[in-house]
Amino acid sequence: MGFDLLEPRTVAEAVELHARDGNAVFLAGGTALLILQRQGLPLPRRLISLRGIPGLDEITAGPGGGLRIGALATLRQVERHPLVVRRVPLLAEALRQVANVRVRHTATLGGNLAHGDYRLDPPAPLLVLGAQVRAVGIGGEREIALAAFFRGLFETALQPGEVVTELAIPPTPPSGGTYLKYALSSNDWPCVGAAALVALDDHGRCREVRLALTAVAAAPVLVRGLDELARGEPVSDRLAARLADIAAAQVEPVGDQRGSEWYKREMARVFARRALLAAARRAEAGPVGDGTKEPVA
Amino acid sequence: MTRTGEGRDARAVGRSVPRVDGAEKVTGRAAYVTDCVVPGMLHAALLRSPLPHARIRRIDAGRAATHPGVSAVVTGADLVQMPGLDPYFGPAFQDQAILAIDKVRFVGDPVAAVAAATREAAREAAQLIEVEYEELSAVLDVQAALRAGAPLVHERLRPSQAFADLMGIEAERQTNVCYHFKLRRGDVERAFAEAAHVFEDTYTSPAAQHAPLEPHVTVAWVTEGGLLHVTSSTQSPSYVRLSLARIFGLPLSKVRVTVPYLGGGYGAKTYDKLEPVTALLALRTRRPVKLQLTREEEFVTIHKHAVTTRIRTGVAADGRLLAREVAVYWDSGAYADIAPRVVHKSGYTAAGPYAIPNVKIDSYCVYTNRPPAGAFRGFGVPQVVWAYESQTDAIATRLGLDPVAYRRAHLLREGDLFATGTPMRSLAVIECLDAVAREIEWGSGLAGSSPPAPEVREAGVPRRVLRGKGVAVGIKAALAPSISGATVMLNADGSASVLSSTVEMGQGSDTLLAQIVAEALGVRVPDVQVVHPDTAVTPYDTITAATRSTFHMGNAVLQAAARVREQLFAIASDRLEVDPDLLRARDGRVFVAEAEDRGLTIPEVFGAAFQAAGTTLVGEAVYQTSAIPTDHETGQSERVTVMWFVGASAAEVEVDLETGQVRVLRFATAADVGRPINPHHCRQQILGSAVTSIGQTLFECLHFEGGQLTNGSFLDYMIAGYRDVPPIITPIIVERAHPEGPYGAKGVGETGALSVAAAIGNAVHAALGVRLRDLPLTPERVLQAMREREPARAARRGQVERGPG
Ligand SMILES: Cc1cc2nc3c(=O)[nH]c(=O)nc-3n(C[C@H](O)[C@H](O)[C@H](O)COP(=O)(O)OP(=O)(O)OC[C@H]3O[C@@H](n4cnc5c(N)ncnc54)[C@H](O)[C@@H]3O)c2cc1C
Repeated sequence: MGFDLLEPRTVAEAVELHARDGNAVFLAGGTALLILQRQGLPLPRRLISLRGIPGLDEITAGPGGGLRIGALATLRQVERHPLVVRRVPLLAEALRQVANVRVRHTATLGGNLAHGDYRLDPPAPLLVLGAQVRAVGIGGEREIALAAFFRGLFETALQPGEVVTELAIPPTPPSGGTYLKYALSSNDWPCVGAAALVALDDHGRCREVRLALTAVAAAPVLVRGLDELARGEPVSDRLAARLADIAAAQVEPVGDQRGSEWYKREMARVFARRALLAAARRAEAGPVGDGTKEPVA
Repeated sequence: MTRTGEGRDARAVGRSVPRVDGAEKVTGRAAYVTDCVVPGMLHAALLRSPLPHARIRRIDAGRAATHPGVSAVVTGADLVQMPGLDPYFGPAFQDQAILAIDKVRFVGDPVAAVAAATREAAREAAQLIEVEYEELSAVLDVQAALRAGAPLVHERLRPSQAFADLMGIEAERQTNVCYHFKLRRGDVERAFAEAAHVFEDTYTSPAAQHAPLEPHVTVAWVTEGGLLHVTSSTQSPSYVRLSLARIFGLPLSKVRVTVPYLGGGYGAKTYDKLEPVTALLALRTRRPVKLQLTREEEFVTIHKHAVTTRIRTGVAADGRLLAREVAVYWDSGAYADIAPRVVHKSGYTAAGPYAIPNVKIDSYCVYTNRPPAGAFRGFGVPQVVWAYESQTDAIATRLGLDPVAYRRAHLLREGDLFATGTPMRSLAVIECLDAVAREIEWGSGLAGSSPPAPEVREAGVPRRVLRGKGVAVGIKAALAPSISGATVMLNADGSASVLSSTVEMGQGSDTLLAQIVAEALGVRVPDVQVVHPDTAVTPYDTITAATRSTFHMGNAVLQAAARVREQLFAIASDRLEVDPDLLRARDGRVFVAEAEDRGLTIPEVFGAAFQAAGTTLVGEAVYQTSAIPTDHETGQSERVTVMWFVGASAAEVEVDLETGQVRVLRFATAADVGRPINPHHCRQQILGSAVTSIGQTLFECLHFEGGQLTNGSFLDYMIAGYRDVPPIITPIIVERAHPEGPYGAKGVGETGALSVAAAIGNAVHAALGVRLRDLPLTPERVLQAMREREPARAARRGQVERGPG
């Protein structure tokens, strides 16, 4: 059926429009919404487009390091932005592996997070980067740690009518990071995605280890309890394998056509280990992050 | 690689001339059916069944009919009341109603059609149609369909009369088997009793999507004089004309089917698909009507057969193949489409191109409550090759023989009899095998055994992998009997037109036909215009499929051009006072063979014959091949086809031991193309087939749940992308001129697709020592197979949680 497209010019106006019609839905890139419609879910009568709101797609340096990424920035904009490439190459690396270039040109980072699908790539690197979601609703503005943002299948911490306006990425310690996307074919969604960030001390021992996995539970998983085991240890094959076991115990895969529950758990372990090792190798080779020399792009 | 005549610039044939449609296509100017807009055109939409099998109790189209913009709503109940209309169609059985009558048979079966001012209005209206169903128990796979007392998908069947080879087919009564092909040669049981080894395995190949870039689309309208004009994305314009004439009770002259460029077909666009319903709406509304499928609809329109093959082979102690017994079960879905021909043609090749004295084949075409399956590049042969070439490999390995040498020793040679009793002719299968083996350096350490794992690093992290190499061969017969007609018109300025019903669907037929005419008449390739199918002017052609166009249409065009040349030479011989046999045509001139200066330009020849400018000389020809039908009980025929085409593939793979993922590092595929008319195009066809097939081997699969397709969109169904192509992939042309082919050519459309899956499967076996029998070779399946082989070791490592059931 036909729909009305509302085009607010400010976030406040968008929130206001939603308050008047609780069934209205926000539209960003539309790549997820329109697919849902094609799959037979009727579109709501009212779509509130966020695309015309000035400034929502800006990417700027954060205070004291880090980054701020407007929710309406497309995946491609983020992937190519010099600040992203320099400060959080891990994110650029992950975004490069999302869908195809046409989708990335249209899909937005805010839309990706708000969509809440269990098999999206960007949440994994953003989780290890400790990103914060800024959202504005009728009650005002708030910040939600990404780790608390994903609640379940297509379920996020967003209240009805809340608009994601920005994603804040705090300064990262000097570290090596990687995102490994494991897919059955080159354009596919992940069977498993693993993002790792490893910070080493001057002796090459772990200062901090972060790991997040996607497509292996109803929501992306930020793996807990790694530092206890890892801190002060060199990142050996053995350590990586033990950390991977911890990770595999924290996933709760739902079998899909890309892998059964059994297989996904196995792959969570494999790619957790590989991601940790790869991140450690990068950390050894020359860490990036605030306070380190930024590599030449 | 052979490079036939690519240096001889004067010739048009045997050279890789650029595509005549290339510039138009890469600049986006080429027009497809999608681009067709007729003034006053309405848009159509279909309402489809949500159930796999149900009786239609009642349809209420009242709300749809009054929806703004709607011109017509038609349901199956309306069809039966239309005088003079035969609502059923299908190339093998007339088993498909234009819109479901009484019953729906698959999730996606069209139930009602709407024509409206816009596509959106038509779709909205279709959703307003209320249908009351009485659900029937469904048969969702072949096993269920074959069970005694299984619900019948079709209670009655009516064979179609469109094609000679399908006129005799008979369904097994009161079962879901709509066709059973039998082949009996020698005494299989006795041979098995005498065999030193007996191998018995079951192989499966899943349903897969054609995924043409352009979905099915049809525009229909009625013009002056009651002419029904249908422009459609079809590979079979002549058949569609016949079918529409029969359905609507029109003379053939009153149905005009035109086909512009096709945005890919791969078999999906063979026979009638949207044409009957679109024409019906056009006749109903007296307005032009366009129906274009969404990608999601495309997925339930037609697909590649899911096949289960049980294959048993008796082998002598020295490796001779004594007997082979094959039972092939084809899941044809709810409507037969062309499946009986797939089942027949692939069925009789199911024992492979080997010397086997005793063969028994049963090939069953089975109705189920799934979307219909039909022709897909290779026409069922890749599915049976997967079985017989995997097993042949297993035999060689078990006997400790080199798989290439083993095949060489037992492949059919010129003059040997095929399982059908047909003597083999023009068959370069051994040459193909040798070519691919050489290309991947077969025998240099890796073949047949698991080499030590090389250390592979990715992002600085070592991965444990194993590598292996595998080969496979495949054979397919050209469709016979079949017919191609063509008209060639030479213009006074030395340009020419070709009227042919061959569809240019990306395969390069326009260029090929232009090359043949240019060669025959001595004119320039770019000056030859190939007129696209228009049944009002282009003669009958069986179909653009089955690797038949180069051979059949090529011959028709060549003969038609020869008739033009006769006229040209007759005129010139008068003027030059020389015997026409001594004349030659080249570079726009007719001249004396031994005295090239003595000649006339084509305009001069025309000037000698006609006292007007812009005149034409016309030649026509119909090229027809013959075959002897296979015997009903034994499948024997001395002449089952006019032409065999054979190919071979070789793969080197790397398997990740932790994930099970198979990566093809090197791939070579060779096709015996006869003589290549355009070597570059041949290589592109071979390459295209290979890439498509690699996707189908490694990850493509349509998933169904309760009869519902669950991955019917490009969001969840992936085809091979650029980055899935192996880093080294080599298409190889093998030449064995065919005595009846135009300039010795055979064809190449499907050859590259036949043996891909088996070569990769065999390479995986060489790497791991485990044989996979189910396609696609997903990493999970590979990993599971590895773990099953080493349960004890894996359990000790504490790594196996528990494999899925
Ligand atoms: C062919 C294809 C392949 C894909 N492959 C991948 C892949 O490999 N990996 C991967 O990670 N993803 C993949 N995707 C998913 C893609 O990344 C998401 O569809 C996209 O990021 C969603 O962003 P959008 O701007 O288009 O969202 P929209 O479709 O506009 O919106 C999505 C949802 O988020 C809500 N929303 C959007 N923006 C906001 C906001 N600012 N505040 C609050 N709510 C909001 C909308 O109301 C809606 O519910 C693929 C998509 C397609 C179409």
